[in-house]
Amino acid sequence: MRGEAMTCRDAIAVLADFLEHTLSPELLASFEAHLADCAPCRAYLATYRKTVALTGRAEGIEMPPEMRARLRSLLLDALAREGGPA
Amino acid sequence: MITAALSLDTLFAPSLDCDPTAMAHVDTEAQLIGRLEAGDTAALESLMARHAGRVYRVALGITRSPADAEEVVQDVFLTLVRKVATFEGRSALSTWLYRVATNSALARRRGKRAQVEVSLEEALPAFRDDGHRDGDRSYLLLDWSERPDEELLSGESRRAMARAIDLLPDHYRAVLILRDVEELTNEEAARALGEPVSSIKSRLHRARMALREELTRYWSQA
Repeated sequence: MRGEAMTCRDAIAVLADFLEHTLSPELLASFEAHLADCAPCRAYLATYRKTVALTGRAEGIEMPPEMRARLRSLLLDALAREGGPA
Repeated sequence: MITAALSLDTLFAPSLDCDPTAMAHVDTEAQLIGRLEAGDTAALESLMARHAGRVYRVALGITRSPADAEEVVQDVFLTLVRKVATFEGRSALSTWLYRVATNSALARRRGKRAQVEVSLEEALPAFRDDGHRDGDRSYLLLDWSERPDEELLSGESRRAMARAIDLLPDHYRAVLILRDVEELTNEEAARALGEPVSSIKSRLHRARMALREELTRYWSQA
């Protein structure tokens, strides 16, 4: 990458590493230089980052209490039948 | 009762060196496992309270069916009850639970896969020969990320997101759930799925790009 300007393809390929702060200093500098000049990649990064956050919120579903109660009952029965030291 | 099979000296060992606060947690969880092996119902309930919610999220995230997810959670904890004496503690209990849950959930998806899984290639960005983005400029510049979460996570937008996740290939969705919902590291997700870290990273990036594309298409027409 040294001496060559980063392309959009290069920039999008390293988005995940950028978000995890695992880019080398040289790659980070190239990435930031590309972003400074590339509005589409700035929009891509912003929406990519937002997609990650939304996924966590949209799929962070709690186990229904009635399901938890059924599980508890099933497991206590199983433990009574099968559990304990041999 | 604690047996040699549990290898409690090595259970969670990597975390002991660096995080003193983890010691109490580790001891407690190791003790719970030992007590479960002895048939202690309170230990079982404590382990359920700690882990059932996350096992359910992973199961539901992969199967997309509450009924299937419930069966997966039951499978996972019945396996824990029956096999606790053989749990060797080479990995954290949570890693073991994630592994059993993902295997069980993916097994249930076999034969039930969506008829039309999203073509990931279509959801990936297009580039010109010179490596720069190709496409309508107003679409390329569309940035919906500043909209309020309440708007992004309600109504048709939320349904569009759910559809996009539904249509991901199962192994991509599994990685997405483990990483972006459960917030496992790449290494932890790799252990749960029994796959190389490089595969996890590649699938995660493609799954995120596919979701991002679906949301951008939705907001370009909204």
